[in-house]
Parts: sequence; C-alpha cells; structure tokens
Amino acid sequence: MSEAPTGRSLGLLVCLQCRATVRALQLPHPRCPRCYAHLFQRKPHSLAATAALLVCAAILYIPANFLPVMYTRTIFDDEQDTIMSGVLVLLQSSWPIAVLVFIASIVVPLLKILSLGVVVFSVWRRSPRYRTQRSELFRMVEFIGRWSMLDVYAISLLVALVQIRSLAFVSVGWGALAFAAVVVLTTFAARTFDERLLWEAPP
Amino acid sequence: MSSVIVCPSCDLAHRVGMAPASVGTRCSRCRAPLQRPENGNIDTAIALAICALVLFFLSNAYPLVTIQVNGTTRATTLLGAALGLYAQGHAGLAALVFTTTVVGPFLQIASLLYLLFPLRSAREAPGQNTIFRLLAQVRPWTFVEVFMLGVLVALVRLSAYARVVPGVALWSCGLLMLTLAALTSRTTPGQFWRWVDRNRT
Repeated sequence: MSEAPTGRSLGLLVCLQCRATVRALQLPHPRCPRCYAHLFQRKPHSLAATAALLVCAAILYIPANFLPVMYTRTIFDDEQDTIMSGVLVLLQSSWPIAVLVFIASIVVPLLKILSLGVVVFSVWRRSPRYRTQRSELFRMVEFIGRWSMLDVYAISLLVALVQIRSLAFVSVGWGALAFAAVVVLTTFAARTFDERLLWEAPP
Repeated sequence: MSSVIVCPSCDLAHRVGMAPASVGTRCSRCRAPLQRPENGNIDTAIALAICALVLFFLSNAYPLVTIQVNGTTRATTLLGAALGLYAQGHAGLAALVFTTTVVGPFLQIASLLYLLFPLRSAREAPGQNTIFRLLAQVRPWTFVEVFMLGVLVALVRLSAYARVVPGVALWSCGLLMLTLAALTSRTTPGQFWRWVDRNRT
C-alpha cells in the first residue's frame, strides 16, 4: 500500500470530544451523532489562531521576566522581586525548590513557546521530516505547560499571608499578570492547534 | 468482524477488533494513545467523586496555612489566596487563581456526579451531552496539583522569617489532588461514552 488510509481519504470524521468515528456527511455544520459536538475535518483557522496566540505569548514573555512580580515592604527595607531574583532568594534556603521553580517558571514557558513555534513553522513550510518527533514534542508541551503557574500560586499565597502591617507587607507586581497571561495564551495556543496538520505534507 | 477508528492526532485510519481493549493501544504512526484500557466500574467513579466533593468542602472550609511572627498570627484559606489578589486590584489574576483552584475542581466534581448517578441506573441526565462537553472544556483548567506545589514554594520562602503551621485544608487539598487524578483517569471521554453506549444498546 503506497498511501496510508486516513480519515480524510476514507471520508470519515473523528469527534474530538468523544472520539467516535463518524462517516462524513455533506452537511454545512455536521454534528457528532453520539455527543452532538461539532465535527471538523480540521479545526477551523488552526494555524493562524495558534500563530497569533503564540506571538502574543512570546511578546509578553519579556515583561513577565523583567517586571517585578512581587514587592516586599518590611520595617527594614523595601524589596522587589522578579521571577529570577525570587529563584535566587530560594537558592539560599532550599536548592531543590529553587531548581524546581527555575524549571517551572523560566525553562518551561520558554520551551513551550519555542516548541510550538517550531511545530507551527514546520507545518507552515509543509516540512515532511521528523513528524513523529514533532508530534510527540507537541503532546509533551501540552502536558507540562500547566506547571508554569507554580510561581503565580506561590505569590498569591504570600500576598494573602504576609499582611502584617507593622512588620511586613507583600503586594503583587504587574510581572505576575504578564506571566499568567503567557501561561494562558500558550495553553490556548496548544488547544487551537490541530495536530493532524503535521501529517498532511506528502512524505 | 472489525470496525475502523480514526486517530484524532494524525487522522490515520485503524482497523480494530470489536472486542473491548483490555490493554491500551497507540497509533501506529504518531504514537498517540488511541484506545485506553477499560478499567471502568461506574461505582468506583461515583465513590471517587463523592470522596472528592467532601475533600473539596474541607479544603475550602479550613485554613490552608497559618503563620506566626512575633506573636502575630495570620491564616489563609484557599479562597483567601484569590481574594488577596483581588483586594490589591488584580482582578484578572484573582479570577484566574479562583477559576483554576475553586471553580474548576468544583464544576468537574459536580458535573460528574450529575452525569454518573442517572447513568448508573441506565438513565441519562437531562442535557448530558452539553454538560459532558462543558466538562471537557473545564478539565484542562483544573490546576490543584500545581497549586499544591505552589503552597510548598511559598512555605519554604516564609519558613526563614516566620513559624509556619500547616492547616487542615493543606492535607485535604493534597488528598483532593490524588482523588481528582484517580477520578479523571477513570472518567476519560472514551470510558464515559462506553458507559452511555452500553445503556443505549
């Protein structure tokens, strides 16, 4: 067999909600007979939507790393922390936690933006190489992306706890918002991307 | 007799036997999981959901952590984390934290209970399809396990300056994390629709 049979070549659609395989009907807006979700041959405007979300995330990655995420005011001094300086503070008390935060907050978002960029670019160029690897890269990125929220949660707890006005006072910086936006945008970017586009270029 | 299923990740068509898979299968081209093993007893799923609901209420009712500095004590709850952000004028950030730690888990547990109870006695809950699709939208936004690690990071940062006392909610939240993971793996879309199909035929 020269050409592998695909859903498209056999006239079959797969429901992305309940994974039922359905014979494609010539209707303007087909729906899954089992769960009534919309059926698509491919997710609509997938490449453009993913690329747009990814560009926004890449731009916001800069303020997320350079703006302070947290201000600490104590009776002795005022401090401001970026994500990176927060990691350095943690390094003094517990290095495994510092490494964890470094990976989750700095490495993972960057890796996610770069990997999605590679995947989108290769689909746009219709590259036939390393498809299995790119497919696995995409799924891994989708899985680890959520861990970047780690620092946002840590900051939200510090803000809630350290409100002892006479001694210490912690407030949120705009960097935290930019950072959370990067996580949300990359999550949506991964969700709007249709993996099947990776397999469309002729091998 | 065999039927054809299509891989949702690469569109490759596969011929499969009619017997339900006892082991998981992967797509032969892109290695994405194709069929998950059938490990589904609906009673187990309902039990896990009830357990998760109890743990969810415990996690919200009791303080998560308490800190003591120079005789001053301060505690926070799960909701307090989101409220603190809101009080400082970061409504967007507060909404995100609130959605991923409170609304997400609650909707997931409540909608599963609503769907599974009727299904158990071979009926279908009104609006079943819509609610299951809503559940699929909510699921990726439940970050309880990430939140737990975030609590740990915050405690390590604070332990240098204050005495930190873990609260009841910290333990129940940890158990909620495990229960939710078990519940999610037992109520995958494939499994859920298998229960529905079993009733319909």
